[in-house]
Amino acid sequence: MLPVASLLILVPLIFAAVTFFTKTKEQAAGLGFLGSLVTLGLTLYAYMNFDSSTAAMQFFESIEWIPSLGVNYSVGIDGISMPLILLISIVIPFLILYSWKEDREAPNRFYGLILTMQAAVIGVFVALDFLVFYIFWELTLIPLFFMVNIWGGEKRVHASYKFFIYTHVASLVMLLGIFGLFYASWQQTGIPTFDIRELVTQFQFFESSLLRDAIFLSIIFGFLAKMPAFPFHSWLPDAYSEAPTAGSVLFVLLKIGGYGLFRISLPMLPNTGNPDLMITMLGFLGSFSILYGALVALRQKDLKRMIAYSSLSHMGFVTLGAAGLVTLSVSGAMFQQFSHGLIMSILFMSAGAIQTSAGTRIINNLGGLAKKMPKLTVVMMVGFMASLGLPGLTGFIAEFLVLTFSYVNLPGFVLLALLAIVITAGYHLWAMQRAMFGVYNEKLGDIMDINSLQVFSMAAIALLVLYFGLNPSPVLNMMITNSEAIVSLAAALGV
Amino acid sequence: MENLMFLAPELAVVATGLIVLLIGVFMSPQTKNMLGYLATLGVLAALALTIQSFGTEATMFFGTLSIDALSQFFKLVFLAVSLIVSLASIKYNENSDHTEEFYSLVLFATFGMMVVASANDLILLFCAFELASLATFALAGFEKRNARSLEGAMKYFIIGAISSALMLFGISYVYGATGTTSIPMIAENATLLAENPIGLVAVVLLIAGFGFKMALVPFHMWAPDAYQGSPSVVSSLLAAGSKKMGFVAAFRVFIVALAALQPDWQLAFTILAVVTMTFGNVVAVSQTSVKRMLAYSSLAQAGYIAMAFVVMTPMALTGGIFYTLAHAFMKAGAFIAAGAVVWMITSQKTGNLDIPDHLDSFRGLGKRMPLAALCMTVFVFALAGIPPTAGFMAKLVLFSSTIQAGMTWLAVIAILNSALSLFYYARLVRYMYFLPPEGKKIGMPFPYAAALLLAVAGVLAMGIWPEPFMQWAMDAAQVLI
Repeated sequence: MLPVASLLILVPLIFAAVTFFTKTKEQAAGLGFLGSLVTLGLTLYAYMNFDSSTAAMQFFESIEWIPSLGVNYSVGIDGISMPLILLISIVIPFLILYSWKEDREAPNRFYGLILTMQAAVIGVFVALDFLVFYIFWELTLIPLFFMVNIWGGEKRVHASYKFFIYTHVASLVMLLGIFGLFYASWQQTGIPTFDIRELVTQFQFFESSLLRDAIFLSIIFGFLAKMPAFPFHSWLPDAYSEAPTAGSVLFVLLKIGGYGLFRISLPMLPNTGNPDLMITMLGFLGSFSILYGALVALRQKDLKRMIAYSSLSHMGFVTLGAAGLVTLSVSGAMFQQFSHGLIMSILFMSAGAIQTSAGTRIINNLGGLAKKMPKLTVVMMVGFMASLGLPGLTGFIAEFLVLTFSYVNLPGFVLLALLAIVITAGYHLWAMQRAMFGVYNEKLGDIMDINSLQVFSMAAIALLVLYFGLNPSPVLNMMITNSEAIVSLAAALGV
Repeated sequence: MENLMFLAPELAVVATGLIVLLIGVFMSPQTKNMLGYLATLGVLAALALTIQSFGTEATMFFGTLSIDALSQFFKLVFLAVSLIVSLASIKYNENSDHTEEFYSLVLFATFGMMVVASANDLILLFCAFELASLATFALAGFEKRNARSLEGAMKYFIIGAISSALMLFGISYVYGATGTTSIPMIAENATLLAENPIGLVAVVLLIAGFGFKMALVPFHMWAPDAYQGSPSVVSSLLAAGSKKMGFVAAFRVFIVALAALQPDWQLAFTILAVVTMTFGNVVAVSQTSVKRMLAYSSLAQAGYIAMAFVVMTPMALTGGIFYTLAHAFMKAGAFIAAGAVVWMITSQKTGNLDIPDHLDSFRGLGKRMPLAALCMTVFVFALAGIPPTAGFMAKLVLFSSTIQAGMTWLAVIAILNSALSLFYYARLVRYMYFLPPEGKKIGMPFPYAAALLLAVAGVLAMGIWPEPFMQWAMDAAQVLI
């Protein structure tokens, strides 16, 4: 058996390093594509050999790193991380194809950073040691920062610094929580360890409930700010909309906040001083993100900003489903992460294509684009329909599961979220109608449709949205297995 | 008869210094270049002897010298810095007529620092302190036709002389109250000091004396000028080496000798650490001279290390001691990289010749001197505490220890400071890689390249495989507890 978990980090990292030294655009894009294909191959290999009937860690590897602090390099894959690794490995090759024909300065850095980002995100997903986890967590900041800072829009400097400082400070708060967890457990057992699963288990034995709450809250703060959830989202619209298309898609693939919620926060939640309060808080943040994101998206003039806020709204389902703490609501939340990654990639690619062709993203200045860009319109329509939750596409399954099963524990918040469903449908259709249909805005001049590589990559993702919408079990099964494990833990404690 | 083998590293350094001084007299400026290699070899031999002697323990000369894990660790720090500095100075002293003086001063300073590391008696400590200080005063003013160098050296000398006086005055009070200058004996009789108001005066005077070397605010006034004005190789020795001399002396004197007065000095260090790190980082943000920025960042780092005195758990002391070695590599390397840029600007005679280390000189350095830019990036990221570097591991241990001791507020201040520092470090990286170069590509002189790679190796080794260093730091911390 290959040491897949380590290879999934190493391969993109090595390809990234080599890509940085390429001279021409073709070399850079080609090497980047090759790297992402090899990673995809490894991911599929892992997926084929993956057993979705167990919640246990698979492909586990562990090497001693700093014994005096109890740090090990340990990695592994389970049903929480597998779908997310699959997501990023699938989207990145298509992302590289999508941007193949774009001209930009320093293509070697551009593609190198994309692969670095992939390595870092996969690193977070497979890490089973808090120190390794934190290192990769922080490493994700660097490619994203430069993505926005170098190739971003007009306000890129502001957006990149805001994103960096905001999420960096949140990560530092999380780091304090990790330290607290580490020392409290050291005091408890007399053995220092940074092992995530061990520390999460030890968490319940800490005597002071104040300490447990402080640890839980500071760690979850890092996750919520990264996801992001209302009210820690203010970096999101700027960063998402100022980033180049590839950068926005990378932001969408940055599912580490939600992942942390399932891997670390949910198993800890039943053992906090006041679990009910924490659940209420999460439910509130989730449903408010859904509602607030939808309301603000409704009044956006800029198409990309609208999509950014709709992303905030959709991530609310992840928080809400997690707070629901029923097997299927948690699985729904996990599935939402997967589905959201695919759908938002299409949406941001569409917005990028419109920007390139029409030269503007302001919805009112567009109009009737379907006449000039028929191919884009078809794919974009699939993306928008999936995003508003049309049955048969992935968005529906995720939101249906979250709303139906969170109702068991959190009826009030689900009703609040239901309100937003109407608004969501509204702003999607309204934007589509104003930008793509109706009379063509002659001021735009003669514009080109998307190129064949873009059609191919966007259509491929759209087909996946349709495929997983009709047949979610290839990824949903393993999510259910792991959600059961999380929920049964909570149930055993009577939460 | 004492077994002088215990002093082999010190003897190797002194002997090399004397030989260099002696044979330099008979050499022409062209052949003097080999003196640099000779000095480097001597330091390397001392380093090997130190590492080889790890684990031995002894006291010598009637208990005035103590060879233990703490002294060995700090000897490692000083010799590593000295090695990097001697290597880089080969280029700095190329075709100079004063090579032998330069190297013998560097080696005598190193010798002084090494004796401070093992001193177990206040008088010996003071003498060694002065030996190192006097040598570095002369080194700081080595470019005697450069007004900045002289200004820095003058400030450094005057403030240094006053602080030495204060330190000696403090020692005299300690002696007056306890009747001894031996550190273990003071520790035994510490109640005499604790019950006497004179003890408090002694603590204040000693903090002022050591604080000057550690460059803690408000005893830091000399540091930015001296670090900016001195030749970069000397700044490297000052910031990375002689600063640590203050720390090792403070570790022994406060934690071992004056343990009974812990509440007093702990309070003082709490204030000093917080003020120093905050002041250093805030002021560094607005600097346009890179060496001056590194000087303020060096203050900030001293503030972090001083947290070890505040937290005082074994973990914190391990972290503080580990941090000194990490900082030695990072800061020595960063100053050498700045030195390479200064060399580039002055030898090309283009750009800002008045302030050759201005940020503008770093524009597009990634294209002009790729190796220097890459190494500088590693150093500033390490200083900012980004993994996988020594700086990250050091901060991890030191900052996390505050949580263990329940001082979350201190951890928050330190971490916020660390986040702030990222701003000015990242700005330097932006200048080097994202701004267009102003001038053509320059070949990197071998001595600079070798010194930089050595420092990078240290920074990365401590970051990627910290276990042996951590063990040594733990052993060293054990001496203090």
